[in-house]
Amino acid sequence: MALIDQKTIKYLAGLARIEIKPEEETKLKKDLEEILRYFEQLEEVDTEGIKPMTGGTLQKNIFRNDKLSVKQKSNPEELIKAFPDKEGRFLKIPPVFE
Amino acid sequence: MEFIHNLTIKKIHQGLINREFSAVHIVNEFFNHIEKKDESIGAYLYLAKDDAYKQASNVDAVLENGENVSLLAGIPLAIKDNILIKNLPATAASKILENYNASYDAGVISKLKKAGAIFLGKTNMDEFAMGSSTENSAFKTTKNPYDLEKVPGGSSGGSAAAVGANMAAVALGSDTGGSIRQPASFCGVVGLKPTYGAVSRSGLMSMASSLDQIGPLAKTVEDAAVLFQVIGGKDEFDSTSVEILYGDEITNPKPDEIKKLKIGLPKEYFIEGLDDRTKTEINLAIQKLKSLGFEIRDISLPHTKYALSAYYIIMTAEVSSNLARYDGVRYARIANNNSGRIVGTDNLLDIYKKQKGMGFGHEARRRIILGTYVLSAGYYDAYYAKAQKVRNLIKQDFDNSFKEVDVVLTPVSPTTAFKIGEKTNDPLQMYLSDIFTIPVNLAGLPGISIPVRKFGGFKDLPVGFQLIGKHFKEADILGIGQLYEQLDSKNY
Repeated sequence: MALIDQKTIKYLAGLARIEIKPEEETKLKKDLEEILRYFEQLEEVDTEGIKPMTGGTLQKNIFRNDKLSVKQKSNPEELIKAFPDKEGRFLKIPPVFE
Repeated sequence: MEFIHNLTIKKIHQGLINREFSAVHIVNEFFNHIEKKDESIGAYLYLAKDDAYKQASNVDAVLENGENVSLLAGIPLAIKDNILIKNLPATAASKILENYNASYDAGVISKLKKAGAIFLGKTNMDEFAMGSSTENSAFKTTKNPYDLEKVPGGSSGGSAAAVGANMAAVALGSDTGGSIRQPASFCGVVGLKPTYGAVSRSGLMSMASSLDQIGPLAKTVEDAAVLFQVIGGKDEFDSTSVEILYGDEITNPKPDEIKKLKIGLPKEYFIEGLDDRTKTEINLAIQKLKSLGFEIRDISLPHTKYALSAYYIIMTAEVSSNLARYDGVRYARIANNNSGRIVGTDNLLDIYKKQKGMGFGHEARRRIILGTYVLSAGYYDAYYAKAQKVRNLIKQDFDNSFKEVDVVLTPVSPTTAFKIGEKTNDPLQMYLSDIFTIPVNLAGLPGISIPVRKFGGFKDLPVGFQLIGKHFKEADILGIGQLYEQLDSKNY
C-alpha cells in the first residue's frame, strides 16, 4: 500500500474542507504514516468469501410509514432560534453563487 | 466520610420515600460537594443548578402528596456533553459548538425526565468523544480522582470522574470503542456499554454511527442495571434501536441461574503489553468468580489482533462523514462578527475551511483526514472494504465462542490510568489503550467494566475487569457483576 505524501495531505484537507496550517502538515503526515503502516497488518488476514459487516448489527433495512410523526422532537421556532444567523424567521446563510 | 459518599440509587430512593431527606437537600449536598471538589478534578463543563433545583422541588412535591415515585426520581445524574438536554449547552467539548444550546431532548433524556431524574450538569470529554484520556477537550483537562497527575481515561472521562469522586450518584456516557468502560476502569467505577441497538442514539452527537452507544456509569453494578433498564428499549427516533423490554432479570438476577453461566478467558487478551498490576488484579477477579462457583474455560478469539486496525478504519470513515455537518452554516459559527459571518471571507468554500480549521482540535482533524483517505477512490477496497470484512470475522469469533461459553472475561485496558500528557503526542499509543474494548463495539455486543475491588476500595490506582455478553444478554453480565460485588473485598 502506498504511504502518504505532503501533496496527498493537502488534497485530503481540500476534500474534507479543512484548513491545515503548513506547520501542521508535517506532523499530520508523520502520524498518518505511522497509523497506515500499522493498518498494513490487515493484508495478512484472509477475507476471501467473507461478507462485509456494514453496520452495528446485521439488521435489514427498517421502514416506517411516510407520515409526519405526531411526537415531533422540536418545533420550528426552536430550530430557528438555534440557527446562528437569522432575520425574523429567515435563516441567513453565506452566498453560494457570486 | 460525607453524607453523599457511597449513596446508591436505592439508598437515595429509600431516604426519599421514608422522608429522611428531601430531593432538594440531596441536590444541595451534591452541588456543595462539587463546589469543593471539582476545582481540582474538572469533571464538569457546565452545572445546571436552576433546572436541577426546580426538578428536585417537583419530586419533593410529589412525595409530599404521598404519591409513589419511580426508583430514579430525585436521583442526581451527570450527563456527558455530547448528549442533548433541551435548552442546555451541548458542546461535545468542541470549540466548534462552544455557543450551541440543544433544541430538543435526547431519547434517553426524555425517558429519564419522565422517571423524575435530576441532571446536575454536563461533563467534560474528549472532543466529539474522540480520545482515551479526556485530554482532547477544547476546554479543560479532567484529572483522575485517585491521582490528580493521571488522566481519568476517556472519552467519558468527566462522567467517570464525577461518579468516582462522588460528584454525581450516577452518570451517562457514550462508548464507541471503550469510551465508557476504559474511564470506568481508570476511575474505579462501573461502566456498561449496551448491545448495539439496546439504547436509543437519538440526540447523541454521532461520532461513528455503527459503533456508538449510550450507557451508564455508576458506583455499583446494581445502579448501572437500574439506570440501564430505564434508558433501554425502542425509540422511534432511532431506527437502529430494537424492540426489546428489559425486565426484572436486569435488576434482580437469580443467583442460581446466574451461577450456571460459563465464563471464557480468551488467550489473545492475556498477552505482552498487559502490565503486571493489571494482570494481578484480573487474576484476583478470576479467583473471586471461581470461589463463587463459576466454571471458567480457556477460549480463543483468533482475529483479536486485527480489531484495532479494522476499528480505526471504520470509525474514522464514519467520523469524516458525521462531522461534515459542522460546516459553519448550521449550528454555531466561530470567529464571527456581528453579521454572523466569519471575518475576512464571504466565499462559501473558505467559510467551510476556516470554520473547520479553527473549530476542530488536532485529533478531530487527524481522524477526519484519515477517514477521508480510507474512503477515497483507489484506497476504498484496500482499507474500508477490507476492514468491514475483518469486522465480520471478529464478530464470528465471538459467535463461535458463545457456543461454548455464555460470557467472556477480559481486562479493560492494558494499563492503569497513565500520566497526563504521556500519550498526547503519540496517537497510536493512545489508540492502543482501547485494544481490549474495541472488539466489543465492532461485534455490537454488550460489555461492562467492573472494579476488581469494591467502590472506593483501591489504595492504588483502580483496575477493572470486563465481562462481554451475547447480543441483548445484558442480564448475564449484570447478573454476574451483581453477584461479584456482593462478595466482601476484605476476604481477598
